[in-house]
Amino acid sequence: MAGAAHPEAMTPRKKGPTRTAPPMMPATWWSAPRIRVYLLFGATGFVYLLMGFLVLRLAWALGRGPVAWEAALSSLANPLYILFHLIVLVSLIGVGVRAFGKMMPKMQPRGGPLPVLPPGAVRGVIYGAWAVITIFMVLVLSGGIL
Amino acid sequence: MKQLLLRLEPIIWLLFGAGLALGTMLLTGFVLVVGLAIPLDFVSADALAYDRAHALASNFVGRLFLLGLIALPLWKGAHHIRSLLLDFGGESRDGAVGTLLYLLAAVGSVAGILAVVRL
Repeated sequence: MAGAAHPEAMTPRKKGPTRTAPPMMPATWWSAPRIRVYLLFGATGFVYLLMGFLVLRLAWALGRGPVAWEAALSSLANPLYILFHLIVLVSLIGVGVRAFGKMMPKMQPRGGPLPVLPPGAVRGVIYGAWAVITIFMVLVLSGGIL
Repeated sequence: MKQLLLRLEPIIWLLFGAGLALGTMLLTGFVLVVGLAIPLDFVSADALAYDRAHALASNFVGRLFLLGLIALPLWKGAHHIRSLLLDFGGESRDGAVGTLLYLLAAVGSVAGILAVVRL
């Protein structure tokens, strides 16, 4: 009778990649609601990138003086800009609800010195911070305070 | 190029995470007022007349906020677009696409720093 096999007997001589095939988007992604939501979350990247450059344009205009600033600010009344900002607002809310409400409560480090809080508490803290910062920004920018 | 991106991944993820969390929190109020309320006349444009806007943005805290409003969404956007293109285009072009997108975010961030410094 043969002896017990060595536990490493089947180990390949050289370490190879563990991934057998590159991940691929299924061809039916458009019919799967979970994938659609995931892709929409990723697509908000376009909106954020454009918004970053738009704020950059405003900051440059502010640095160039009153005429450039007034021109940049009044250009935002263009219906295309308003539509874009509505899309930005929807994207921000979508990202906030998904990231703050669903992802972050599950991302707490476990096994560390800090206690793991109930998801509802984490959600409440993050939504609370979002609300406070938003109200602060609205009040400052609209002339309510400062 | 891919190796460089892998090495920079902790920094990229830090900027992406900050862009996602802080960028979202900062942008919401900004878009509500500057992008919608003022153009739609719900708030008077005098609230952001040049003198007041300049005074708000040119102190240290104002510059930090403004830089956050510029740079953080750029990094969140660049990383999310990269992951979206990775999902559809596979890994073959990821090195070039990722580099291009992060370069765009980096250039925008540097321009943002210059913009807030010269206020």
